[in-house]
Amino acid sequence: MATRKKSLLKVIILGDSSVGKTSLMNQYVNKRFSNQYKATIGADFCTKEVVVNDRVVTMQIWDTAGQERFQSLGVAFYRGADCCVLVYDVTAPNSFKNLDSWRDEFLIQASPRDPEHFPFVVLGNKVDLDNRQVSTRRAQQWCQSKNDIPYYETSAKEGINVEMAFQTIAKNALEQEAEAELINDFPDQLRLNSENNRPSNADNCQC
Amino acid sequence: MYPWNSSTYGGQAPTGGQTRTMPNGLDDQEKLLAEAAGAARKQAFQMNHFLDKERMLDALKCASTMLSELRTSLLSPKSYYELYMSITNELCHLELYLSEKNNKETDLYELVQYSHTIVPRLYLLITVGIVYIKNDPTLKRSILKDLVEMCRGVQHPLRGLFLRNYLLQCTRNILPDVLVAENEHEGNVYDAIDFVLTNFAEMNKLWVRMQHQGHSSEKTRREKEREELKILVGTNLVRLSQLESATLETYRRLILPGILEQVVSCRDAIAQEYLMECIIQVFPDEFHLQTLDPFLKSCAQLETGVNVKNIIISLIERLAAYNQRSGKSSGNAIDAIIPAEVELFEVFSVQVANIVQTRTDMPLEDTISLQVALLSLAQKVYADRVDYVDKVLGTTAKILDRMNMNNISHLLSVNQELSRLLRICIDFYNNALTIIQLQNFCPLLEKFDYTSRKSLALYLVMNILENETLVPTADQADSILTIITPLIKDDETNTTAANNSADAEEFAEEQGVVARFIHLLKSDEPDMQYKMLQIARKHLGQGGGQRLKHVLPPLVFAAYQLAFKYKAIAEQDENWDKKCQKIVQYCHSTISALAKADLPDLALRLYLQGALVIGEIRYTNHETVAYEFMTQAFSLYEDEISDSKAQLAAITLIMSTFEQMSCFGEENAEPLRTNCALAASKLLKKPDQCRGVVACAALFWSGKQNGEEMRDEKRTLDCLKKGARIASHCLDTGVQVQLYVELLNHYLFYFERGNSLITVAMLNQLIAKVNEELPNLEPSEETKQIESHYKNTLAHLRSRMESNDAALEVSFAGITLN
Repeated sequence: MATRKKSLLKVIILGDSSVGKTSLMNQYVNKRFSNQYKATIGADFCTKEVVVNDRVVTMQIWDTAGQERFQSLGVAFYRGADCCVLVYDVTAPNSFKNLDSWRDEFLIQASPRDPEHFPFVVLGNKVDLDNRQVSTRRAQQWCQSKNDIPYYETSAKEGINVEMAFQTIAKNALEQEAEAELINDFPDQLRLNSENNRPSNADNCQC
Repeated sequence: MYPWNSSTYGGQAPTGGQTRTMPNGLDDQEKLLAEAAGAARKQAFQMNHFLDKERMLDALKCASTMLSELRTSLLSPKSYYELYMSITNELCHLELYLSEKNNKETDLYELVQYSHTIVPRLYLLITVGIVYIKNDPTLKRSILKDLVEMCRGVQHPLRGLFLRNYLLQCTRNILPDVLVAENEHEGNVYDAIDFVLTNFAEMNKLWVRMQHQGHSSEKTRREKEREELKILVGTNLVRLSQLESATLETYRRLILPGILEQVVSCRDAIAQEYLMECIIQVFPDEFHLQTLDPFLKSCAQLETGVNVKNIIISLIERLAAYNQRSGKSSGNAIDAIIPAEVELFEVFSVQVANIVQTRTDMPLEDTISLQVALLSLAQKVYADRVDYVDKVLGTTAKILDRMNMNNISHLLSVNQELSRLLRICIDFYNNALTIIQLQNFCPLLEKFDYTSRKSLALYLVMNILENETLVPTADQADSILTIITPLIKDDETNTTAANNSADAEEFAEEQGVVARFIHLLKSDEPDMQYKMLQIARKHLGQGGGQRLKHVLPPLVFAAYQLAFKYKAIAEQDENWDKKCQKIVQYCHSTISALAKADLPDLALRLYLQGALVIGEIRYTNHETVAYEFMTQAFSLYEDEISDSKAQLAAITLIMSTFEQMSCFGEENAEPLRTNCALAASKLLKKPDQCRGVVACAALFWSGKQNGEEMRDEKRTLDCLKKGARIASHCLDTGVQVQLYVELLNHYLFYFERGNSLITVAMLNQLIAKVNEELPNLEPSEETKQIESHYKNTLAHLRSRMESNDAALEVSFAGITLN
């Protein structure tokens, strides 16, 4: 039945502040890049239609704030994600070190059904800069140690590898979605009289 | 005006007599959320089911019921956010379905308005509206306008904020972002700005209104909730910053004024503080740089409770970081990237002054913190503009003047901020010579009390020492010494015991630091060096004996070094001779100041050192002056030094100094020699006498006569004999034996060096004496020492006796060791 449902994929981009999360998304969705720095506060998404395995799907890409102080309402938007993209800046070793905590935080907050096999993708961004600090090997090792996370080195500025990375993201998200679909299709239980048992929590007025 | 007191804006029906029902426990929240989310999920499932069957009306009915869950008043913002997330996620599915169906025949936009209650109705309206726009862009302008207006229907703050957030989220991809639209109904960027600004104004009103609803006892909780919800309001600004066609000009003319108007007029401290910070974060630096004036002007108009200081500091930090970041990426760290026409420092300094003036309620600490922020701006962006830094210091001094703040106590909190200001300067330049270029540094320093001035002075001196900053001119030395006056002399305004009770160790350490600093007064020009020493002498002479002890000796040594330097350049400087005389005079008066300050031991040693130096330099008249220095040492010895140990030490030093000197003619040398012998023989205690007299022997042996060693065998032996006689008068056997062992060593010394009057018999006699007495001594620590000294002496003798070395001048034959 549900052909339409599979067509929506939710992807979350996480990483330290100013590693280029927004820029990567903009490059992918709008093919644009700006050197101007605008901090992201909170979280919202862009949508893009992509073709994966000959199917058109809508990807909902959530760009998030790297600074915790900008998430005053918490991270409820992690829920229901089909893929999580971890971004670090190859010229900032700390942003690489923090990937661990971003991954852990995501698994705790999003609590996916099978955390061991939840699809992540790691992006080492800003490879266009010449003061690189984190080696490809080091990043690959980390990814291998985490159940072989796919790893791409990107430049949002020059558009290097961005398209390819998001193709992988979409593909892995779709597989995840299909799996979740099988399990998650039905609501908890259907009790015919339950409707009336709940205390009315809404105001009785019509607004 | 915000009509928060008007009941018509309450937007909420009373439930059970309470205006706001909110269960307290976290568990309650979890339970309520689980129930609401469960109910919503059930509806979502059915909605999807109906969509599959293409039963549109039933699907919409389910969607509406699902959305009814968002009408709750029971959830906290965070729980409500979770519920909102899962429900809007379902709406995405609905939206996708509707877009795919492209259903022209039913007027969905009309249809969804039949929903019973307003919250579901508006969510559905937005969802459908977006679908319409996607299918037909020419509807964009009118639908957007309609939606943002319709949302006014929900005036309950929490529900309204989330509803408008949904509107904002859904329109993200479709806001018109072109300057001129092909079809005017598609709208342009100005329509987008209008749309977001309207939404922003409405959301801000809802958010601000929360503050004024409910019981006053719940104020803390309410503020916490507002704090959590702020992100929803801020998202409007994010949306504005995402508009690519909005140029700097548009920002300056429309966007920023639109935001600021709301911010200022809402007169709510929480909102103002957050939104100003938000503006700083979400818009690019390039925009900020060109709109500093209006932004900062608005800062001056914010409410009393707003921490303006933090806002300004945040902006300054951002721009400074921008400057550095851009500098780095362009590979030229020195070049400021900030365009020259943006007079960043001037603008900030004018506007900060304006803020200080208008916000009379601002605590003085905050005013000073703003100056600190200005200072760091000047340093980070205009590293070489010392005048900017100076200006900040000047302004600060003026502020304090205006408030008549003087002698600011180190116990006041404002003192800490002020000290920080000065310390930042010191740390930034790491060069005291730059600090003294700051005309306003000293005047500002004068505003502090003695204690804080002293600790700042110490901070500066430590900085000089760490960086080994050499001070090359007298004027610079003068300036620095003026700054560190609190270390150099006592507080003139307060002469009570408080100063004297200071920890002695700490005091000594502090003065040690000053002494180390004196060694850094160093010019390559000898004349300049001399001027510097004079200046330093003038400053340092006022500190009282306790300080002089530490700080004058380095001056004297520096002067001695300088004298040598003149000697070295004698060929270039024909006046070197006169200059040396002056330097020696300088030393003489400096040392006599120490003598007068009741520091005879120190003065004596410096005189002796001086005598040595003068003897070496040999300028005109040097013999007389050296003689004068020696007699000064003698008279200090005779008049001022009374402790017997100190006396022995002093006379020994005098003798050993004199023994080295070769500048004296006999008419001067002989009286000095006699005087030494006399002084030694007049020492009070016998053992001291003995040692003194024996030491005197060296004067007649290796001491100089007309530049040659004297080698007066008879007088040398006389001294030793006299020593032996005195030792024999000692009543304490232990001391006596010790003296004999020492004497044996002295006899041996001159014997080995060929004094022919000293015989093997004399040595044997001494050895016999020691052998006789030593075993009778009571065992003690001293005895042990004497024994080991003696044992070593005998070992030496034995080795000499066994040696076949032909070079030995004398024969050791006939010495009996046992």
